[in-house]
Amino acid sequence: MSDRTPVQRQRSAPTADWIAGVRARFPVERTIDDVLTRKLERRSLPAEHRTDPAALEKRLEDYLRAVTGQPDLEFANLQRLTGGASKEQFTFDLRWRPEAGARTTRKLILRMDPSESIVETHRLREAQLLRAMRGVVPVPEVLWVDPTPEHLGHPFLIAEFLQGTVQPEGGDRASGLGMYFAPELRDRLKDQFVHHLASIHRFDWRTPDLSAYDWPQPGTIDGNLWSLATWERAWHEDTLESHPLMDYAAAWLKANMPTVARPVVVHGDYRSGNFMYTDDLHINAVLDWELAHIGDHHEDLAYTASGILGCPDENGTMLVCGLLPRDEFFARYRELSGLPVDPERLFYFEVLNYYKMAVIAVATSLRTAHGRRTHLDAMMNLLSGFGYIALANLQRLLGPGGGR
Amino acid sequence: MGPEISQFLAGMRKTMEQVVLPNLSDRFAQEQAGIVAATLAFLEQVHDKVFHYELLEHHLYRRLLGQTLDLLSVPEVTDPEIVETLAAIQRQLTEDPPGGDIHLYRYDRLRAGNESMKELLCELIRLQPALPDAARTALGDLLQPFFRDLERRERSWVKPLGFDAQADQLPDIAELLYCNDRLQLPGDGRP
Repeated sequence: MSDRTPVQRQRSAPTADWIAGVRARFPVERTIDDVLTRKLERRSLPAEHRTDPAALEKRLEDYLRAVTGQPDLEFANLQRLTGGASKEQFTFDLRWRPEAGARTTRKLILRMDPSESIVETHRLREAQLLRAMRGVVPVPEVLWVDPTPEHLGHPFLIAEFLQGTVQPEGGDRASGLGMYFAPELRDRLKDQFVHHLASIHRFDWRTPDLSAYDWPQPGTIDGNLWSLATWERAWHEDTLESHPLMDYAAAWLKANMPTVARPVVVHGDYRSGNFMYTDDLHINAVLDWELAHIGDHHEDLAYTASGILGCPDENGTMLVCGLLPRDEFFARYRELSGLPVDPERLFYFEVLNYYKMAVIAVATSLRTAHGRRTHLDAMMNLLSGFGYIALANLQRLLGPGGGR
Repeated sequence: MGPEISQFLAGMRKTMEQVVLPNLSDRFAQEQAGIVAATLAFLEQVHDKVFHYELLEHHLYRRLLGQTLDLLSVPEVTDPEIVETLAAIQRQLTEDPPGGDIHLYRYDRLRAGNESMKELLCELIRLQPALPDAARTALGDLLQPFFRDLERRERSWVKPLGFDAQADQLPDIAELLYCNDRLQLPGDGRP
């Protein structure tokens, strides 16, 4: 199944030479290279992904006793979470003494990599940025992180579990894509949504510990080069079949790559489904930072505003992430961030983002299901439906009259 | 031979939706069972069209590669990697000549041939910056209508998965594949 040509067979059982060739061909950030290379090196292992909750509970308890130095901590209620598409997520209650604190019980969340994920990302990067963003935008507190498979068999991070709503009633969509918000929700959430994005982009990322990130120089193409190479590499490592439009788009993206005047933290997945709000309609968490990197703010803007993530209002007007019209989104962003919104750059990143979505949902999702390497194999197959719409959008943008 | 595949699928979906799903208490299991039911519904729509979809792709990629060969097999195209790729395309097309009997082969063989043609086309696209300007423009002109048809076909294929906001404006995949209950192969001389 899907290993019919020499190229396909190399992807399914990569040799050391083939891996070295891919690494040389696509220059990505150090830690991205680490996770992509580890994925390829483990791909030939025969075992399909399985999670034994009892064994996980034991290993997690052992880890927590060791990392806290508290053999008397109490661990209870390990439960798997629904939603999401990339990481296995569990909640549990932990009773222990945090540093310089009294004994307390907190509900925590475990975010753990499956054997292969719809996006291969680095838990240390995610943890560093979540820690850096405390006080800048609402994010959960990270307590522990292990970017190696040493303790639980897979990399993971543990953070506080926040209560709130991600998908409003009736807004259900796979992974929160294209979610509907009722007018009263929109009115209360839209300004906070733009405000937090502006805060992320205004953040001075040179001060905190972001050592797991490579830092692009202002006025160079570094950030965009790494960004494209990440997705192009993932495509060539993961796709089950070739697709000429993907190669055509990659060629266009290379030929038209802009410089990044002022590198900022790019969230990489800023949309409905990746923020949470309280009953009194305050956004209390910006989630899913795993795709974050230092790059061009237009990358986030184009992604957040892409039609595929939008939802029409009651009159048929398309709303950015189901919250506000496109023009209003950009105007408010300019006002709050003080950063320019350049239509040419927006177009470039619209193409890049649809390319990225196609990589994720046509190549990597199907690869993980093909190898039975995730806890969501059935969902991974289904998500190809989203990926082919991303491909259709690429065709629209790069075809005649598409705006090239 | 019975029951037909569609009957198997419909039976499984009904059982999943009416028996399994309502009796699951674990939310993760409910979510996954819902996805299985949706997948079965999709398979009901497309399973009997898979072979003809691939046969159409075979015809279209073959035709496009032939046109590409005609376009680029000229003295102005001298880049060694492109010349080598054109030779590989020629070999691929010779192995499977027009009017051949690909439709008599197993599905696996058909898929393998299609993938080989896609890989060759992708290689050529990767190498296109080394083409002379006129040839690169002409290749782009050849690719655009091909991409447009490809997009239409793929969107119609995944339409039953429910992600497409414009699904009601898209033809069903059967409308793209068949005319008078017969597979349409553009340019094969048949009405």
